[in-house]
Amino acid sequence: MPEHTSMSAKVRELPPRRANRLSSTRLGSAIVNDYWADLFSAKEQGKKVVWYNGTYIPPFFHAHDVAWVHGEAWSAYLAARHVEGDAQMAGESRGYDRELCSYARTHIGQALLDMKDLKDGKLDPQSPKAIAISQLPLPDMIINAYPYCSSGQQWDEMIYRLFDKRVPIFHVNIPLLWGGRKDAAYLAGSEMDERKTYVAHQLREMAKFLSENTGRPYEWDRLSEVMGYIKKSAELRLEAMDMCTATPSPASFFDWIVTIAHVNFMPGTQRLVDFFEAMKAEIAARVVAGEGAVPDEKYRFFFDGMMNWNKIGWLAEKFAANNACVVAGRYTHMSFWQEPQAIDLADPVPGMAHNYLACPNNSGAPYMIGEIDRLCDKFKIDGMVMHVSRTCRGMTNSQHLIAESARKHGRTALFFEGDVADESFYKDELLNTRLEAMIESLDSRRSVMA
Amino acid sequence: MRSVIESFSAVAGDSVGYARRWKEETGRPVIGSFPMNFPVELVHAAGALPVIIQEVDEPITDGEAAVFSFYCGYNRSVVDQALKGRFKFFDGIMFADHCVQLLGTADVLRWHDPGSRILFNQLVASMDATWAVDEARNSLGQLKRELEDLLGTIITDAALHESIALFNHNRQLIRRLYTLREEGRLTLSARDLQHVVKSSMVMDREDHTRLLAELVAACEAAPAPDLRGMPVYLSGHLCQAPQLTLLDLVESTGAVVVGDDLYHGFRYISTDVPETGDPLDALAFWYFERNRKVPCPTRADGDADWDDFLVREVTRTGAEGLIVLVAKFCEPHMYYFPEIVEACERAGIALLKLETEHDGMPLEAFKTRIETFVEVSRRRKHAAALG
Repeated sequence: MPEHTSMSAKVRELPPRRANRLSSTRLGSAIVNDYWADLFSAKEQGKKVVWYNGTYIPPFFHAHDVAWVHGEAWSAYLAARHVEGDAQMAGESRGYDRELCSYARTHIGQALLDMKDLKDGKLDPQSPKAIAISQLPLPDMIINAYPYCSSGQQWDEMIYRLFDKRVPIFHVNIPLLWGGRKDAAYLAGSEMDERKTYVAHQLREMAKFLSENTGRPYEWDRLSEVMGYIKKSAELRLEAMDMCTATPSPASFFDWIVTIAHVNFMPGTQRLVDFFEAMKAEIAARVVAGEGAVPDEKYRFFFDGMMNWNKIGWLAEKFAANNACVVAGRYTHMSFWQEPQAIDLADPVPGMAHNYLACPNNSGAPYMIGEIDRLCDKFKIDGMVMHVSRTCRGMTNSQHLIAESARKHGRTALFFEGDVADESFYKDELLNTRLEAMIESLDSRRSVMA
Repeated sequence: MRSVIESFSAVAGDSVGYARRWKEETGRPVIGSFPMNFPVELVHAAGALPVIIQEVDEPITDGEAAVFSFYCGYNRSVVDQALKGRFKFFDGIMFADHCVQLLGTADVLRWHDPGSRILFNQLVASMDATWAVDEARNSLGQLKRELEDLLGTIITDAALHESIALFNHNRQLIRRLYTLREEGRLTLSARDLQHVVKSSMVMDREDHTRLLAELVAACEAAPAPDLRGMPVYLSGHLCQAPQLTLLDLVESTGAVVVGDDLYHGFRYISTDVPETGDPLDALAFWYFERNRKVPCPTRADGDADWDDFLVREVTRTGAEGLIVLVAKFCEPHMYYFPEIVEACERAGIALLKLETEHDGMPLEAFKTRIETFVEVSRRRKHAAALG
């Protein structure tokens, strides 16, 4: 039997070796569940609801006491529970092509389902409870705030039109930091300075928009208060991440991925701070005990690309079963409140603009890839796992370049196809074969070096 | 008339070759740009040749290793050409459009040729924001400064005014051809008209305008053609030109094109730039005005709807059907397409969608579908006439 086949069988037939997930993430689940429950009853509570897409602007909503629905998160929520199918079929029935962002197709499809229920008389449009019966409250406002991704703007324009332009919409433009000027550097230089001023101006205008559509003045002090919790949470999270330079790594990418919601759109409260405090403490204890997120860590990987939300557990087990710890990732380690030091709580808006611009995709490839390489060095990464998320071109754009740079730095790389919320693009067999090849290559390299 | 069309066809068919020769002959710089909103008048005013980089029919080979197959043909082709070294003679590439795929392409180009100058300043895409005009003016000012730095020159207001006037004249002449087409008096085919517009994106504008004036005069003097068939309106294809064989197919299967909103068509020449006042203000005005005239799904404007525009245009031009050419993987078009379908259904307009690809276009299948579309429309019209 050729070695290739025997190795392939080895990858598939290894006894399940469960990933050693952090127990503190369970605390986080309660925060998320409470958020959704609160959201689903927003209309009953008399709250206005904003649907938004793009960067992590919920502190602005929280400070103004409006409920918020992150379209991407809602689609991920459905996908993670494997109930996205009906929404995607509804989108497809209206003519949305499968090659469009599956977050958008799911979100738009769910809106279509909700509106059909209303039209068919399944819901009494006057009853707040009935409006909430399909769970997701319909919007009173729409806000679009995408760095980098042009598709995101178009998605919200379609949502705006689905509601016959009756729901007011606001756009925040977060321009790309291309880095073509002579003084360009990562998140620095005249381009960054100008963009920061521009984005901060728009964020203040967005607060006016919220104020106009709720009939209440915007409470800037409240924003500072909310941001105090967010800033502290972000600092704790980054400190905890830094501890994962230890070998074995005390937490994995999959622990961080299940806390994306918290850093992305959970309310800024003491409860959030407590959660990241607990997570950090558990990670610190693991470092002292030498306990790894993967019991017999042999390989350390970096996950590039958007998450495949309907495969979180599946992928976590697959890598753990091969003694591979996915230690860090572009989405988890570079995308949310990465620059808390930039936030001045006395006037948080410029620092918030700074953080929104710091979305990794929003820096030109040489700058973004420089940061990825730096992270990979820091976390002692052996190989790159490139998730080619079929309908998320914002994430796939530079993946060939990232892999090329990784190889120059002595790391291996594998590509596998999947998607953010459309399971049909995922091909398990391809990942098995490529993971097998990467592990074989790493073993071979190590044996040569030995 | 045919010799002018052949000249335009030669340039449109080999835009890179033309630009390289132009540079060798004149000793002046060439600046490439990406679609669809970079104001090329700036480049002309700086004494350089502005060239809108085109998709080419050539199969994608080298590019396969740098761009995924689920990107639109334009992006894949541009990457492929760049990796084959075709753009090395450009003195710079400048662009202003925010398309996620295009941004990826630009980065691939910069990565593989680190010495190249590729400059980007993002034009605001939410057209109805209260600050949008000021922001667009700022972006155009930055593009102008970076271009001046790149070419080591100063672009004076007087030079920019002259360039604007020249480009306006060029657009006006092409629009005259469009008017003749609507009136049924144009002897040029859809293929010919694409040569006219596409070459105007590349060719030295003085030369192009001189030839164009001859062409317009000849077309005006020519007897009206005997056009028989179903009048149709062509829509779509935002960045890339539809393949010429596809245009031929439409016109050889019982349809007559009476109007279009193609980027390599009316979208490109729809709007003039004001010739008085501050020229950067004028270019900013042009940027917003052209989206009002021919709404683009890549821009967000609550008052400009592509679907409404198409219903109006189909009615105004007397078209009896709308053929929508969707470039596969073009996200803005895919988002907007259901809106167009529903608007056409409400207005009783027959619609045919053809999804085009860079490689392997199913032309035989398209032929059958267009023939069926024409035939069904004819029968419906006949039945309606009978009451």
